[in-house]
Amino acid sequence: MRRLALLLILGSGVLAARLATAHHSFAAVFDGDKPITMTGEITDVEWTNPHFHFSLNVKDPGGAVTLWRFEGYPPNMLVRQGWRRDETLMPGAMVTVEGWASRDDATLGAVRWVTFADGRKLAAGPPAGTGGR
Amino acid sequence: MNTRSAWLAWSAVAAAAASLGAPLAAQSAAAERPAPRAANGKPDLSGIWVATGAILLFEGEEAFAAARAADAAAGRPAGNSGETPPYKPEAEAQRQYFLARRGIDDPMARCLLTGIPRINFRPLPFEIVQLPDRVLMLYEIHHAFRIIPTDGRGPPEDAEPSYLGESVGRWDGDTFVVDVTSLNDKTWLNNVGTIHTEDMRVTERYTRDSFDTIRYEATMEDPAVLTKPWTLRETFRLRPDERIREYECIESNEDITRFENLLKQGAVTE
Repeated sequence: MRRLALLLILGSGVLAARLATAHHSFAAVFDGDKPITMTGEITDVEWTNPHFHFSLNVKDPGGAVTLWRFEGYPPNMLVRQGWRRDETLMPGAMVTVEGWASRDDATLGAVRWVTFADGRKLAAGPPAGTGGR
Repeated sequence: MNTRSAWLAWSAVAAAAASLGAPLAAQSAAAERPAPRAANGKPDLSGIWVATGAILLFEGEEAFAAARAADAAAGRPAGNSGETPPYKPEAEAQRQYFLARRGIDDPMARCLLTGIPRINFRPLPFEIVQLPDRVLMLYEIHHAFRIIPTDGRGPPEDAEPSYLGESVGRWDGDTFVVDVTSLNDKTWLNNVGTIHTEDMRVTERYTRDSFDTIRYEATMEDPAVLTKPWTLRETFRLRPDERIREYECIESNEDITRFENLLKQGAVTE
């Protein structure tokens, strides 16, 4: 699993980290120096506070499927970015997720962007280390 | 110049700038619309505000860069970006301890009220309601509020240390000054491990220097841990189209369980 995670890690610099204050859950749980990008099928969405979560099945080149879980903005911020609870992200959707890997959990990530099948891209979580969560 | 004629003048300048295609950042501070005034002649701070640091999250990188450029042109604070308090050695050792533990001790991660001044730097809007005898601050973060008397009364006599303490407001010219006392020692000031004692006094200064901006300063005095007073600064931006939404913190906060696991696994030392 760790190998798959490493394969998926890309070198995109995205505004990473250090912009403002390091935040509790980000610095403690996620690594702003481990950006990840992966595509998969949504299996579950939890529209909850203070973070929303979703899970997606990610297939590696050999066909093995891994269930990943992501943590992002609370509903108040999702709505500001154009999300709607019962419309935007539903089980079965194929999406591409950009974010950062957990330091300790091989299948957990912090989400920054979600790109949908129609090409639309919405912010789903804060930049690493900006304290937006 | 009264408010209406000032606004008309601002409109004319803004329209001229727009017609020339001037970039936002190039508009000088002089072209900024002046702050409105309350019936008592003081600036009216009322409105929905967002710390400039949060513009990145709300409106993206371009808007954030433009806001910071406008602040630089107007000489406004560039924001709280992680300065370290001037700690005495023992307090600095405590901060290093919390850093070594990856910040898992952050009171905010446990959904506790964020304290002063940290609550003002959080990336969610807050509303200021300025009334003749008090100023209300309604924060989206943690659904928290402050009621700040401005009628000359002092802090309550039965005050006990608390997360947001006791605030008393007064005017220093056009600057709204808030003296905050009776804070408990369970909050951090900005970043990981920025501790303080119950004896800390915070003096906040809110200056609405244009229609769209407030210059904010918070000075912490806490001789038990600080070698000298310490000031943090930020610019708040008016966002009239925002509304204060619900913020609930406990429902699916998984941090506490994760932090316990980190300790059990030895990833973070006791």
